[in-house]
Amino acid sequence: MALVLKNTDLKELAQLYDRISMCTQCGNCKYGYEYGSTENFAAMICPQGDKYQFEAYRGSKGKAALAKGLLSGMIQWSEKTTHVIYTCIGCGACVEMCETDIKDYLLRIFEALKGEAWKFNMGIPEGVKKWSSTIGVNKNPYMEKHEDRLNWLPASVRDSLPKKAEYIYFAGCTASYRQKNIALATFKLLQKLKIDFTVTPDEWCCASPLLRTGQYNIAKEFIEHNRELPEKYGASGFITTCAGCYRTLSIDYVKDPPEGYADKFGKMEGVKVIHTIQLVEDMINKGEIEFEGTFNNIVTYHDPCHLGRHAEVYESPRNVLKAIPGLKLVEMYRNRKFSFCCGAGGGVRGGFPDYSVETSMKRVKEAETTGASIITCVCPFCWRNLNDAIDALKSKMQMLDIVEILEPIVKRK
Amino acid sequence: MARGNREVLAKLEQIVGPDYVSNEEAVLLPYSWDLTWADPRLPDYVVMPKTVTEIQRVLRLANHMRIPVIPYVNATNIGGLCVPEEGGIVMDLKRMDKIIKIDPETCYAIIEPGVSHAQLSAALKATNPQWEGYEFSKGFEFGWGVHPASASVLAMAINHGIGHLNGRLGINSQLISSMEVVLPTAEVVKLGSCAFSDSWHSFLPLPRMDGLFLGWMGTTGIVTKLGIWIFPIRPYKDVLTIAAETAYDMTRYMVHWRHYSLCDEVTAVSWWLAQIPIPYPYQEKPKDTPEWFSYTVISGWSEEELEYKRKMWKKVVAEEKARGTKLIDFEYPPEAKRGRTELPSRIIGSTKNYSKSCGGGLAWPGTFAPCKSWPILYEKWKEIYIRHNLSPAVRFTDFQGAHYGMLRLMTPFDKRNPESVKAARDAMVECIRAGIPLGMLPYKPPVEYMNELNAAADAGYVYLMTKIKDMLDPNNIMNPGKLGIR
Ligand SMILES: Cc1cc2nc3c(=O)[nH]c(=O)nc-3n(C[C@H](O)[C@H](O)[C@H](O)COP(=O)(O)OP(=O)(O)OC[C@H]3O[C@@H](n4cnc5c(N)ncnc54)[C@H](O)[C@@H]3O)c2cc1C
Ligand code: SF4
Ligand code: SF4
Repeated sequence: MALVLKNTDLKELAQLYDRISMCTQCGNCKYGYEYGSTENFAAMICPQGDKYQFEAYRGSKGKAALAKGLLSGMIQWSEKTTHVIYTCIGCGACVEMCETDIKDYLLRIFEALKGEAWKFNMGIPEGVKKWSSTIGVNKNPYMEKHEDRLNWLPASVRDSLPKKAEYIYFAGCTASYRQKNIALATFKLLQKLKIDFTVTPDEWCCASPLLRTGQYNIAKEFIEHNRELPEKYGASGFITTCAGCYRTLSIDYVKDPPEGYADKFGKMEGVKVIHTIQLVEDMINKGEIEFEGTFNNIVTYHDPCHLGRHAEVYESPRNVLKAIPGLKLVEMYRNRKFSFCCGAGGGVRGGFPDYSVETSMKRVKEAETTGASIITCVCPFCWRNLNDAIDALKSKMQMLDIVEILEPIVKRK
Repeated sequence: MARGNREVLAKLEQIVGPDYVSNEEAVLLPYSWDLTWADPRLPDYVVMPKTVTEIQRVLRLANHMRIPVIPYVNATNIGGLCVPEEGGIVMDLKRMDKIIKIDPETCYAIIEPGVSHAQLSAALKATNPQWEGYEFSKGFEFGWGVHPASASVLAMAINHGIGHLNGRLGINSQLISSMEVVLPTAEVVKLGSCAFSDSWHSFLPLPRMDGLFLGWMGTTGIVTKLGIWIFPIRPYKDVLTIAAETAYDMTRYMVHWRHYSLCDEVTAVSWWLAQIPIPYPYQEKPKDTPEWFSYTVISGWSEEELEYKRKMWKKVVAEEKARGTKLIDFEYPPEAKRGRTELPSRIIGSTKNYSKSCGGGLAWPGTFAPCKSWPILYEKWKEIYIRHNLSPAVRFTDFQGAHYGMLRLMTPFDKRNPESVKAARDAMVECIRAGIPLGMLPYKPPVEYMNELNAAADAGYVYLMTKIKDMLDPNNIMNPGKLGIR
């Protein structure tokens, strides 16, 4: 049986046909596994498969199969096609297991599939459609007014923000409109660390939700806008505490495919993109940070997919946590490249809120088994979904971003 | 787009719950093909039962409505065995994924169909061989293959799967100790010691009825629980390697070495299979490189035991060299050695070694053959493959003693190109045709191989097979079309 490319109307997908064809349907991506000299790691790592079970939903195999089926004309688009595609969170766990030449393109393929779905307008979740129709005006997916973006800052501070600085603190939409606690903690932390930074009312959504749901046409304007900001503010780079913004600014804005979208939107050049946690780690290493207090708690760290698997930043947060006096770090069984997603990304939190929180509840239950009293992470979006799960489960655990742990107890030496 | 009919769908929903049935094409599609050349065929429904009772109820319905049922776990069998020839219900057994028991004293485990190699290997490693609480050593193992770690242990074992202990212990279907089966007509039966007590340790000394479900590719019933023997992990291991100019020289060495029954595995691969990935299309071997490379894994309880085995191996090599067998010393790179001792493996596991970049296709003439035929068939197969512009990526593996072993030709091909698919299929079928008169028998055979086998089979063999199939599955609902007899 041959799978010949017939349906070239699916342009985004057809461009990736050669890569899609490299999938053997071996199913390695359906389950996490690693050999170890004393114990082997084995666990379900695909949240979509864990929920919906059927092959189509498990790991990249199902989505690669759909792409093949659609391109070869074996099946036509249906609401169910969209459901399979849109319940994939894009967490990238399956990518860790794949070993053929489709591997590096898998996330791009998932996003292209999501992009094709818009042409058919069948089954796209209402929650996603809603924010999609307003993001052009609001510049954020929360359907909040753009003018309110900096409301997380006290008015007095807002009015006296520097017009020039070495860095722009890019808070991102979730921290700006929902998890203001993280934006504020970051702001105070950067001040305590004496970083020369500013915050800009010109910040628009980094375009992560648009790219992750294949809305390339809308994303273009956002990327072109944001990448001009450093020049406007005389800044050499962005600092962000959001894993999603970090991935988008440091990879999508900058790199060629398969990792980034420089092929579509051009390259942002000469701009540093730093996650706050990398900044702190670097300063600890240089001996520039002093701890004024302790944090006497057992803490488990949740790897945000966009920082971990997507950007391969696994150790910086852990190194920072280990440096905090009194803090004891314990790991969940599924950690680092085999971390289990919080369930928020890829348009899932907006599109399928119940499934999204069900997924984060699985993660919180796993965190509970570690004996930790606190779950920490470095992503406001994960924070939000995990916190909702803590509430839903009436769990005794508490959610804190690492910046929230750090801010009260650090100072610059 | 939906398939099948609403009435059947509704009944299936009643049995397993609406979340675990679908008749939607987008959900059915991945069940319509596998890695091989098999033409895609969509099933009409997929169900994911969780219990034996649910399986029974689905089978009753299927008999009543005369709907095919295809047992499915991951479809990595490389034989198109789960492709629904006549549509029907794919029964995906992944939700039945419990390791029911690991008995570290009598050394067996009981598993459900959905238990993956990943899952079982992790659980066995965490269990220590012991008696009355006194632990002898660390961890157990089973015969691990080089497939995706997500593949089912049960589906592998009941279809004569081949694992890393095959040189010492035989193939995995020889390591089964008891089973529970739902017959096509929905009765539940237990076979082996578990039919008499809750001990799942042995089939012997009973009549071997388990044979009715081993190697039948899901055409005679659904195995719902399997007892398997498990083995203590030996702490000392080494990998010894030697190359040879020809398949004849390599076979001579292998037969001599396995005579002493000292290794866990002895395998040889042709130059094409030693390349990562296998060259596609055919590429000529460099003139100054040997054609065959072999490894043997030895294990033991002490360094002394290992040293003795090394000494015996060196003696075999020296004797063979002295009598003119052209053996060439060579060392595996450390990564390759690790791949042979760290199983189930991600180093050699999955498809990256075989079909990483060529267009998604992978199939094999995978066969058991008497060792005498290995070099003869290799030369024939090589001619066939080169004629079809394919690499003769052949493997020989001895199975526990002098009787037989694996002769297999791993074949990547390009599914984007109908000509490539046809060439691969034609070449493989020709290889099977050439092999059968020389004692070669394909395992997990695709329909095309089954037809070749049936054409060559003794009439009584096909008669009995048909009779058994008719007796067990009067409505021919179980994976129809796969045996080539109904
Ligand atoms: C790259 C690669 C390497 C491989 N290497 C090896 C190897 O080293 N050794 C080896 O043995 N195999 C190997 N295989 C083949 C295959 O992976 C194994 O046989 C595997 O364990 C099958 O598991 P599965 O879950 O894919 O079974 P499936 O393919 O889903 O099922 C196999 C067959 O069993 C039937 N079946 C499934 N469950 C049941 C049940 N409960 N009752 C009755 N019938 C059932 C199915 O209908 C089908 O006919 C390899 C495959 C690949 C892709
Ligand atoms: S990206 Fe995540 S949710 Fe999507 S298939 Fe892969 S592992 Fe599953
Ligand atoms: S995506 Fe990769 S791991 Fe998954 S089935 Fe395809 S080739 Fe195998």
